[in-house]
Amino acid sequence: MAGGNSYRMKELSNKRAIAAMPIAGSYRSIDFALSSMSNSHIQRVAVLTQYNSRSLEEHLNSSKWWDFGRKQGGLFLFPPMQTPDNSYWYRGTADAIYQNLEWLKRCHEPYVVIASGDCVYKMDFGKVLEYHIAKKADVTVVCRTLPEGDDASRFGLVRMDEDDRITQFDEKPMAASSNTISCGIYVIRRRQLIELIEKAGEECRYDFVRDVLIRYKDVKKIYGYKIDTYWSNIASVDAYFNTNMDFLKPEVRQYFFGEYPDVYSKVEDLPPAKYNPGSSVKNSLISSGCIVNGEVEGSVVFKNTYIGENCHIKNSIVLNGVYLGDNVTLENCIVESYVTIKPNSSYIGQDGIVIANEESDRYDL
Amino acid sequence: MIKKKMIAMLLAGGQGSRLGVLTSKVAKPAVSFGGKYRIIDFPLSNCINSGVDTVGVLTQYQPLRLNTHIGIGIPWDLDRNVGGVTVLPPYEKVGKTEWYTGTANAIYQNLAYMESYNPDYVLILSGDHIYKMDYEVMLDYHRSNNADVSIAVMPVPEEEASRFGIVVTDGNGRITEFQEKPENPKSNLASMGIYIFNWKVLKEALVTLSEQPNCDFGKHVIPYCFDKGQKLVAYEYNGYWKDVGTLGSYWEANMELIDIVPEFNLYEEFWKIYTSNELIPPQYIAAEASVTRSLIGDAAEIYGTVENSVIGAGVKIGKGTVVRDSIIMKGTQIGDGCVLDRAIIAEDCVIGNDVVMGVGEDVPNKVKPSVYSFGLAVVGENTTIPDGVKIGKNTAITGETVAEDYPDGELASGETLDKAGVVG
Repeated sequence: MAGGNSYRMKELSNKRAIAAMPIAGSYRSIDFALSSMSNSHIQRVAVLTQYNSRSLEEHLNSSKWWDFGRKQGGLFLFPPMQTPDNSYWYRGTADAIYQNLEWLKRCHEPYVVIASGDCVYKMDFGKVLEYHIAKKADVTVVCRTLPEGDDASRFGLVRMDEDDRITQFDEKPMAASSNTISCGIYVIRRRQLIELIEKAGEECRYDFVRDVLIRYKDVKKIYGYKIDTYWSNIASVDAYFNTNMDFLKPEVRQYFFGEYPDVYSKVEDLPPAKYNPGSSVKNSLISSGCIVNGEVEGSVVFKNTYIGENCHIKNSIVLNGVYLGDNVTLENCIVESYVTIKPNSSYIGQDGIVIANEESDRYDL
Repeated sequence: MIKKKMIAMLLAGGQGSRLGVLTSKVAKPAVSFGGKYRIIDFPLSNCINSGVDTVGVLTQYQPLRLNTHIGIGIPWDLDRNVGGVTVLPPYEKVGKTEWYTGTANAIYQNLAYMESYNPDYVLILSGDHIYKMDYEVMLDYHRSNNADVSIAVMPVPEEEASRFGIVVTDGNGRITEFQEKPENPKSNLASMGIYIFNWKVLKEALVTLSEQPNCDFGKHVIPYCFDKGQKLVAYEYNGYWKDVGTLGSYWEANMELIDIVPEFNLYEEFWKIYTSNELIPPQYIAAEASVTRSLIGDAAEIYGTVENSVIGAGVKIGKGTVVRDSIIMKGTQIGDGCVLDRAIIAEDCVIGNDVVMGVGEDVPNKVKPSVYSFGLAVVGENTTIPDGVKIGKNTAITGETVAEDYPDGELASGETLDKAGVVG
């Protein structure tokens, strides 16, 4: 599921799908779901795209980086398509599957994993499937308990009984009824999914959570699979900023970069990062292709970025291919990718994160 | 029928013994370079950037790392339905089976490979030079001169000309004389070991010379073509070209990448150098770290001070450690409180805490003074160095060393500590 947009992303989603948001210097959001699938030996993956889909399709222009270029299976991109009897966009998650039901019927795999492209995590879906089978569940929902104080209202909230069967499911309620949230990852038998989606389609119901999971929760056996490993949804500016900043913590880097299996991404053939005289980098992530002449502190700098002399960058995220002129000051800031920040400019987020986006007349090769 | 205009044959079987312990377990073309690359990436990238999509890589000495690196050629876009990259090791035959005994002999043993692509021209390359070159421009020159053989040459300073194979030309680029390391050079054009042959000319020469022992391009094939009266022309190249054949030149070529605008610029969009990206995560520079005038590879974690150095992918440098004027290759872990000056540390080494390298007098190495010089301390791959030892200049270390291997906690300048048994 990689077709959605969220107003919470503000202008960051003006030019890209949320699943294509750059993460942790070298990755895109969808890499985490795709790598987890690849590492769980899932060989057939369909990516359902809609909103700003080109950004994502550019990233997925070859399946080889995630090892999906196999004779059995493969990586399939399914944007909405016009047919003699359908001219709608995807009207919801269930509708997106409904519009591709023919393909799903032709697959031979017994189970389906449904995941979204806007979450950062590592997961062995094989383990979830084992649980699903052991519980004889109809649907298994991956769940996580939010730490105290986190705002749960932008998630689906669940409550489970002693056996971890889900008894209550609220989609983005006004007042949080629980602090256990659905991670948006589901395991379901393929024939079961086809049956549920066909039913929903006939009744003009389009949302998988609201119109399938919540309606069926007392009829079907829906179980929760609890995780306590790192998981983060990036679909708001603050969440996106904090998720990137999490990678400055050694334990998060160790979990994603140090522990097997790896997270894969499209390879861009950039030279190593270069530190010129005058550069001073503290507690920051720097990606390949960067040239650093200034000061960087507590920040994440993405690929192929040029940082001019005497720049001061603090607690900020600089996305791919940015050119920062000399004497630029950034604080609490996200710099949109491929922009040119003119010398002597300053972007300082006073009470929150500012997004720096200047018109660029730079000619990119 | 398959038809390729020009195919390349890349000689990558040499040991490169003057790189000492750096090539004790890997062929020279597979040695790391510039924080991310291996030497063979340069000719391979030149090939694909020049539109040469069929490359035979001739391997012999320690090919494992090279084979793993090349794979099916994905990083260079050399995974092709027709052509692409093919690794060509020596093989057993009916009758006479032999190793590759010389550069031309290696090519001769792979006549069938070349034949299968039905080429018009064959480009002969070696896998141990750092440069960017458009072979298609050289081919245009070859064709417009109606040449049988073209040799790429570059001007060298007059006083150094006696170290090279020198080519003397008439006014039109046609070669009139060869001088191998001459005392009194008649020209300053040195051969770069890059040749374009008309396929028929090459095939005829190789078949004729097939009984020649240690058949070599410079010594046998080129003189044979010259004596036969075939048209040999010199193609003059004026860009950056570096033979990284010695530890000194290898160190220097790495250091040149650090200049503010390096002469050999890896940051240009045009003519990219491709390599196999084994590690993707970004690098982390800690709050207590300090990094200037350096190149740092992906997934490195720096907690110490790095100055004027080239650091490979996945390297970890501990707290309080100072690394100066050094080259650290992929995956090496360096402990806390070390001081490293002019060190070259190969891949996947483990250096303990409080190790000091590159101190003391500049005395020549006792075992191989011509290899381990330039004041460098060189550590072979997969070496372990214990805590708190001192290591001098012009030294070489390999294998799992322990504190007892260092009398008084020191390896004096000029000494060799060869626990892996590879220095010979």
